[in-house]
Amino acid sequence: MRGKKFLTAALCAAMAVSLVACGSNGGGSNGGGSTGGSGKGDGEVTLLNGKPEIDTQLQALAKKYTDETKVKVNIQTVGGSNQATASDTLKKDYQAGTMPDIFVAETNQFANWEGMLADLKGEKWTSNTDVEYVDASGATIGYPYQVEAHGMAYNADILEKCGVDPTKLTSYSAYEDAFKKIDAKKSELGLTAVVDYGANNTNLGWSTGTHLFGHYLDAGLAMTDTKYIDLLNNGGQIDKDRMTAFAKFVDLIQKYADKTVAVNGTYDDQTALFAKGKAAFVTQGSWFGANLTSNDDYKKNSFKVGIAPVAFIDGIDTILGGPSSYWAVYKDGDVDLAKAFLQWCSEDTAQQILVEEAGLVSPFKDCKYTAKDPFAAAVTKYMNDGKFSGWHTFIKKDGLQNKTGQVFQDFADGKLDVDKFVSTMESVCKSYYAS
Amino acid sequence: MNEFSAGRKAVSFLILLAGIALLVGALIFDGIASSGGYDFGGRGAMLVCGILVTIAGIYLFPTLKHHRAIVYGLFLFPLLFTFLLTVIIPMCFGIAYSFTDWNGIRLTKVVGFNNYIAMFKRPEFLWSIIVTFLFVLLNVILVNVIGFLLALLCTTKIKALGFFRASYFLPNLIGGIVLGYVWKFIFNKVLTQIMNTETSMLTSSGTALIAIVVVYIWQYGGYIMLIYITGLTGVPADTLEAASIDGANAWQTLTKIKIPMIAPTITICTFLTLTSAFKQFDVNLALTNGSGSVNFFGNYITNGSEMLALNIYHTAFTENNYALSQAESVLFFIILAIVSIIQVRSSNKKEVSL
Repeated sequence: MRGKKFLTAALCAAMAVSLVACGSNGGGSNGGGSTGGSGKGDGEVTLLNGKPEIDTQLQALAKKYTDETKVKVNIQTVGGSNQATASDTLKKDYQAGTMPDIFVAETNQFANWEGMLADLKGEKWTSNTDVEYVDASGATIGYPYQVEAHGMAYNADILEKCGVDPTKLTSYSAYEDAFKKIDAKKSELGLTAVVDYGANNTNLGWSTGTHLFGHYLDAGLAMTDTKYIDLLNNGGQIDKDRMTAFAKFVDLIQKYADKTVAVNGTYDDQTALFAKGKAAFVTQGSWFGANLTSNDDYKKNSFKVGIAPVAFIDGIDTILGGPSSYWAVYKDGDVDLAKAFLQWCSEDTAQQILVEEAGLVSPFKDCKYTAKDPFAAAVTKYMNDGKFSGWHTFIKKDGLQNKTGQVFQDFADGKLDVDKFVSTMESVCKSYYAS
Repeated sequence: MNEFSAGRKAVSFLILLAGIALLVGALIFDGIASSGGYDFGGRGAMLVCGILVTIAGIYLFPTLKHHRAIVYGLFLFPLLFTFLLTVIIPMCFGIAYSFTDWNGIRLTKVVGFNNYIAMFKRPEFLWSIIVTFLFVLLNVILVNVIGFLLALLCTTKIKALGFFRASYFLPNLIGGIVLGYVWKFIFNKVLTQIMNTETSMLTSSGTALIAIVVVYIWQYGGYIMLIYITGLTGVPADTLEAASIDGANAWQTLTKIKIPMIAPTITICTFLTLTSAFKQFDVNLALTNGSGSVNFFGNYITNGSEMLALNIYHTAFTENNYALSQAESVLFFIILAIVSIIQVRSSNKKEVSL
């Protein structure tokens, strides 16, 4: 009996000691989190990355920075699909008090974090770029780490074989002629479709609802022209004439697309079709280059590519371009360390990794590297010629792309005609802004 | 020894007080640290010690009458505390958030019942409710009928019984998301080839809903079958033997003996399918993500195949409307609670009268 009691007491004591030990460890690290990084005196910066395709390269970048400065950089990567996004992770982190010091933010998400982001004005890199994100009050809160562009990507080899000059593709009739020419040679060149178009809302709603829709908002306009996005953000209004012209162009694309891919296809189907050289055009942007270079068919049989404007009105000669997302610095994080890291990222060593290895197009003027990405040259050329239109599609109301994507799908499926497309688009936008 | 000595009393009160003091101290230190002041590293240890000493103090509390109750309470405490932390508190938070304009990051004001009014003005949400009820009705009937038929099949004397039971049950072991993607492939790639159509079932709302029902039955039928098998094998052999001696044929045995004998099993299965069909989320997400267009009272809405749970998810995460989605969740909770209560009540009565 005595022995049993002693044993109980000993066990209790052991448990208490182990609990205390855990408690003190846990207390230390929790304190660091909840007080917003005051415990990170040893020099740690955490970056939340939203691009899974460049995760390996960022890890390499972080390692290099640690070697040079002894400051540890943690890269967390989330996202890659419509379902798990960086912004969801951030909300969770915010509630839990474990916010990263630097995190990815899309343009329309900056409003959510108003007053919680560090102003990066006056940093050395700001004089080296024109595309940083400046909010309405004049504070620089978005660090541009890449530039992307969207237009009608094309297979230059096929266009050449069919005698189509991509630089002349600046009007509806030019596209109509080009599509006819290519369509006539379809069986000779072994093409499945002239245009590789995907409009399934579940799989590619982000492509049609955000990117293609973006051409209605911005194509042909100057970078800072916000005419149509202002109209949209004012209660979901649309310009009917412009939308009709746009709808006719989409209709033209659909006529020369493969209906199965257009209505049911996934991103992988779209990639496979274009990478095999079975389509002359694809409605994807510069990021598509990464998918091409990792595709086995493309590796075996590579071809030259380029980007042409979505010219639904005569004379449109610009493509949509700019940073599709930014890195923002959390005010209560370790701002100084974060700033130093971002400055280093804009400099030579880091740019080499980001551009040559990660394949990003650099937003910085003094960057002397060119990505081996197939679209990089085309994007850089448009950027240097000043032929970029804005990415204002990213400041439409969050979630609208899920609604408009469905309209694109029904259009591709033949459930809507051009007039119905315009009227449905109008009612969908209006009702979404009203809710 | 009916009375505690004065010294013993003093010691136990002292232990209790010391424990509470440690707890309060740790919380104060935490408050100081999080407001940017002195960061006392030992506060975690202090908290744990405080908890242990408090528990010891409560255990040694000088009472004979309530000692047993205190011990029971102490043993229940971990479970109750966890339940409070993971269920009760989040639920209260959720209900509170539904009356604000919370956007997932912060809230600026309390808006009263505005979210509850707004959600009934959304055709998308109303459509989701209708679709969900339709889906539940179809599933409760179909899953139970098919599950029961499979169970009858798997209690006969056919060969390779174990194989059949296992293979009918197998789909239930695959997660809903994986299952959804597998079936998405079947609908988009295989069925379009076989039927030679350009568009798959998943692209129109009506056929997409049928597709979800099919996948759900495929996933859940085997599970329900297993429960029915347990019920059917529990029917006493002597009853069945007596019936066969009396000359009952197979149909009479089924309707007059087996089904009445497994009434409790039917209750359980109906209840299980009812609640799980209401909470349908993963297959819905993976298969269609709720897309599909519907003309709903003159409104073109784009969530033709979206059930209630997925609608709540989308309202929060893609439309960034957290407070509204909280209000929708509260309604969802109420619907589920009512359905469950009615179900349990009505079937309890049936079992008693049996």
